[in-house]
Amino acid sequence: MTRRNNPPYTNPKPCEHLSDYKLKHGFNGYKSLQKFIRTTPNGRTSLENPNTKVPTCDSCNGYRGRFYFCLVCSSISCSDHVLFHNQSRNGHDIAVDVERAELFCIVCRDQVYDPDFDKAVMSKHRIDMPNVESDGKSIGERLCKRKKSGSGFGVVDQMRDLKGPKESALMRDQRAKSCYPLGLRGLNNLGNTCFMNSVLQAMLHAPPLRSYFLTNQHNRETCRKRSVDRLCLPCDIDGIFSAVFSGDRPPYSPAQFLYSWWQHSANLASYEQQDAHEFFISLLDGIHEKEGKIRNRNRENGDCQCIAHRGFSGLLRSDVTCMTCGFTSTTYDPYVDISLNLDTSNYSMTDVAKKPIKPNESSSISTLLGCLDLFTRPEKLGSDQKLYCQNCQERQDSSKQMSIRRLPLVLCLHIKRFEHSLISKMSRKIDRYLHFPFSLDMTPYLSSSIVRNRFGNRIFAFEGDESDISTEFEILAVVTHSGTLESGHYVTYLRLRNQWYKCDDAWITEVDEEIVRASQCYMMFYVQKMLYHKADENMSHLTTSSKEEALHRVAGFS
Amino acid sequence: MRGSINRPPTPDAEDDQIQEKQLTFQEIIDIKLIESGEKERLKELLRERLIECGWRDEMKALCRAFAQKKGRDNVTLDDLVQLLTPKGRASVPDSVKAELLQRIRSFLASAAI
Repeated sequence: MTRRNNPPYTNPKPCEHLSDYKLKHGFNGYKSLQKFIRTTPNGRTSLENPNTKVPTCDSCNGYRGRFYFCLVCSSISCSDHVLFHNQSRNGHDIAVDVERAELFCIVCRDQVYDPDFDKAVMSKHRIDMPNVESDGKSIGERLCKRKKSGSGFGVVDQMRDLKGPKESALMRDQRAKSCYPLGLRGLNNLGNTCFMNSVLQAMLHAPPLRSYFLTNQHNRETCRKRSVDRLCLPCDIDGIFSAVFSGDRPPYSPAQFLYSWWQHSANLASYEQQDAHEFFISLLDGIHEKEGKIRNRNRENGDCQCIAHRGFSGLLRSDVTCMTCGFTSTTYDPYVDISLNLDTSNYSMTDVAKKPIKPNESSSISTLLGCLDLFTRPEKLGSDQKLYCQNCQERQDSSKQMSIRRLPLVLCLHIKRFEHSLISKMSRKIDRYLHFPFSLDMTPYLSSSIVRNRFGNRIFAFEGDESDISTEFEILAVVTHSGTLESGHYVTYLRLRNQWYKCDDAWITEVDEEIVRASQCYMMFYVQKMLYHKADENMSHLTTSSKEEALHRVAGFS
Repeated sequence: MRGSINRPPTPDAEDDQIQEKQLTFQEIIDIKLIESGEKERLKELLRERLIECGWRDEMKALCRAFAQKKGRDNVTLDDLVQLLTPKGRASVPDSVKAELLQRIRSFLASAAI
């Protein structure tokens, strides 16, 4: 079942000259090169003779431009004379670019690639190849802890609940909505609970979670019998699923769930507005608390098998590199979502191919891909954050780089739309528009891509090349926020069977995708492509069978 | 291993006269920059700045677009150098140029040229 959806790296075939060279000289050239290989802490490799600082061309004594080191006779030629060198000697076809330590075929006048060469180069880099399990030994503290409290939206909001609905209006709504797919039902606002409603709408349609509850894998009766503890969030979630997928169309009030959640997250229990992201985390935590005990009973180690983790959990890789000796220490941390800073750089990637762009111009749009780039970019840690290097045995300036080791079935991306000013000691919301795609390929942000790129795209097998991972995602839901840090409103856009629905507390309406694209995203839920399409198929089965039932209900009402 | 990589360091000025090669002022500066390691440091700084401001990503995107149009197997190093050089030179931010210029000036002052 290991179909490679995206073969990321197909090794380029060697030209005939490289093949001939390998046949004739084997690894001799590469081996003798080793003593001249010089590495830098940020992953660059070059050739350097410790005796001569300035490489000069054997033919013209020039010291400018690109230099090529002949693998057969070790002479150095500049780009102007390298062809001359080749033509005057038989078989001196393969050389190494001195500045980049990359293979060059003089006859083909182009770069060539050889895994054996890259292996020889990589052996000079100080890469730490740890196990996948969390490595306790690292350079200093773990820096990728996310702040969980006090970083979101949370004060009093205007009440948006449904007071005294007119029955006839409701009936009209029912008839109109009877052709909506199953599982679409408004959620009443119980007093600033839009933060809860918005996340619930997304969860109700997240494939692993939805199948889990709809197939009754958390049975409320058995649960009640089994545990003394009355409080069970999964039971209440199951209640919501039943209500929403029942075919009933009037908006539902998730009061029981709210009450249970208050008990679980006592610090957030109030009628004040909360942050949707915080709620999401506490929701998964609530499921894990209950389900984890049951599901993990028979396994000592390994990943948690509760539905929250099975659906949303992935693994992040953090590399901390000493800027003095290049020693890199790697740690792995699990995540259920990724919080991204807004990318506010000054260029627009979309226009690059069409016309020259000056990076100084601020004609820019923030994009989700830009945020992901920012997230995985190497970050120089300040000199006040020197970390202890095992190799140097002292604190050194370091650089940190994040990447994704494992992707979940449902990828939750959270945009940090708040900034705190150290000067005014106030936080404010960032309303900047963020462009996001409906289809997302996460390949460039995987650890294999990121780490590989650090060393200049060598052909080198990195431990745990995630060749089996599906990296293509489709957007399922967008939780949007409008307003300020103190006062605002959450709305969720859901994509079901290629139609977008706006879920604004009790009101569900069909909307065009342009509306969604223009919205201010706060949390985005992406589902693995295969899972997304499969779930859609299942949905269509559900819809046709219950459609008649729903219509019948409405008709019988009058 | 041939002796060419173990050549003695850059010839002295006297040798230059014997070989009838006059070093220009620019060449002298250049050699001093390389020998002191300052050129390497400047290159490193430049690399950092160009990555930060997105210049490198722009160049990458240009290459990708070119490769897609021409076909992945039909692209040579020379093609890319020809493609990128004019656009690359033109799009280096002024702030980066200014910073490097300042660094070079400081170096010249300290090297007492």
